Amino acid sequence: MAGEAGGGRPRDWLSMDETAAAFLSRSLSTRPPILLPPPLHRAPLRPGNVVEIAGPSGSGKSQLLLMSAVQCILPKEWEGVYFGGLGKAVMYIDLDCRFDVLRLAQILRKRIAACYGSVHPTNENFVTDGSKDKFHSFESTLFSDCMKRFLYVRCYNSSELVAALKSLKSQSEARSEVFGIGVYFLMLDSIGAFYWIDRALQPTRESKGKTLSFQSITETVVQEIHKFLQLQPILVLVTKAPIYGEGITTSNDFQRGSLKHMSEDSTALRYPKREEERNGSCREYMPSAWQTFVTHRIKLQDLGW
Amino acid sequence: MDMNEEQPHVEDRCVPWSDGMQLLKDAAEGKHFLPTGLEGIDTLLGGGLRKGQLTEITGQSSSGKTQVCLYSAAHVAARHMGAVLYLDTSNSFSPSRIAHILDELPISLIKEPKDMRLKRVMSSIICESVFDIFALFEVLDRLEVSLNCKVTNGSNKICLLIIDSVSSLLAPIIGGKNSQGRSMMISVAMILKKLAHKHNLSVLVTNHMVAGNGAPKPALGESWKAAPHIRLMISRDRGSNICTATTLKHTLLACGRHMKFQFLPS
Repeated sequence: MAGEAGGGRPRDWLSMDETAAAFLSRSLSTRPPILLPPPLHRAPLRPGNVVEIAGPSGSGKSQLLLMSAVQCILPKEWEGVYFGGLGKAVMYIDLDCRFDVLRLAQILRKRIAACYGSVHPTNENFVTDGSKDKFHSFESTLFSDCMKRFLYVRCYNSSELVAALKSLKSQSEARSEVFGIGVYFLMLDSIGAFYWIDRALQPTRESKGKTLSFQSITETVVQEIHKFLQLQPILVLVTKAPIYGEGITTSNDFQRGSLKHMSEDSTALRYPKREEERNGSCREYMPSAWQTFVTHRIKLQDLGW
Repeated sequence: MDMNEEQPHVEDRCVPWSDGMQLLKDAAEGKHFLPTGLEGIDTLLGGGLRKGQLTEITGQSSSGKTQVCLYSAAHVAARHMGAVLYLDTSNSFSPSRIAHILDELPISLIKEPKDMRLKRVMSSIICESVFDIFALFEVLDRLEVSLNCKVTNGSNKICLLIIDSVSSLLAPIIGGKNSQGRSMMISVAMILKKLAHKHNLSVLVTNHMVAGNGAPKPALGESWKAAPHIRLMISRDRGSNICTATTLKHTLLACGRHMKFQFLPS
């Protein structure tokens, strides 16, 4: 490497590219910190982070995703009313297939009404004088603008998930050409949706000798998201539901599989079932490729009020 | 097919991304609530069984789950909303009970002589007996094929799918050491949600209850909890026809609300 670029002195490669201050200011400007609604406001998140939100059923994971989505699609300010949003697009990949668009609309409308109400406080004549109609026209244009920034796709199995991830790049390019805004958030709900289906896959011999298993599918998912992250820095939010297993090793499932799979997965499956249900803790079922990919982990608890 | 092969053009065409306004339009198109005929339950559900969603009714034995299914089938068929496919796992479908329910319909809905209406309703309800999980997969497969190729014809198109009870098919297979059982349960959930979404059906399933730590809890465990959109729990007051329904999970409304409703005496 030293004598590569023709004619340069050998010590040229020691010269400085940029100072730490320049590096910091550059990264803060291209990847500014993101403020999400509580409780996510406590974590210092920036584009490029991968956040995993884990919790039992009914603890509010999908609700967190929807609230963050609304935060992203609302503009910072519109017609004099301050919303504090990011004004960018959200891509939502639904694996649970339980997304309800009416719920998203409900949250968005409430937020718009609250912010509008703080600027234009209502009085008794709200209905009779023109302010109600003004609000409706204000709200309907803003509402449809915001909803158009929410992109959604459903996947019913792992191959559809991989196909959707492969199409992220072209979709986001197409939408940004039309609307002039880029994608800022990617949401996956929820990552373990096909766990049982993929685990029950019999390892088959593919044409190039690769076996299809939950491990390899997760690695492909990580790879595709990583590829997209390198093109465009976005924040990735993923929900994860707990899996209550039988507490056996994978030897029954991978009888014909390679020994490598057994040794990697068996460490995650040593929890006996009764103990984990008593503890209320769930074992980590995602392969190590996923665990190292995640940068932030949030655990939700159902307090049962 | 190797998943890592670069096939950008094929994938792009097949992946149906939509935006929020398109989703709202799809949700608003067509009447999207199917009445169950029981006012308390309809209120808890926010209007009725929603098309495109999977609703689960759970309760202890003889708490009225089958009655809710029969009422829904009768009311949907009587109001010309479409055909009903009733998958019965324990031979609990009762034509005489359907006839009895129809007799009590409000006067405003009666526009034809009783026996003609009974005949029409009975021909709109397709009842099939399903006794194991593989038969269920087969029926759902046949349903998907017929929905895919059928020309949409208002009153003959299936709009409600009832499985009474799905837990008796799934509970025997999810125990044990093999993960195949759970994978089949999740597959059933996925297939039902896919059918509901693609063909705009409403799917109603019933679940029984098992003993838990202290209070009885719905069967099929934690993995099934994430499957339905809406879960209701019903219980019958002892010795009467008055039942209470509680919301366990809902996509729009708050949970934990109770409503009382009543069946007609048989």
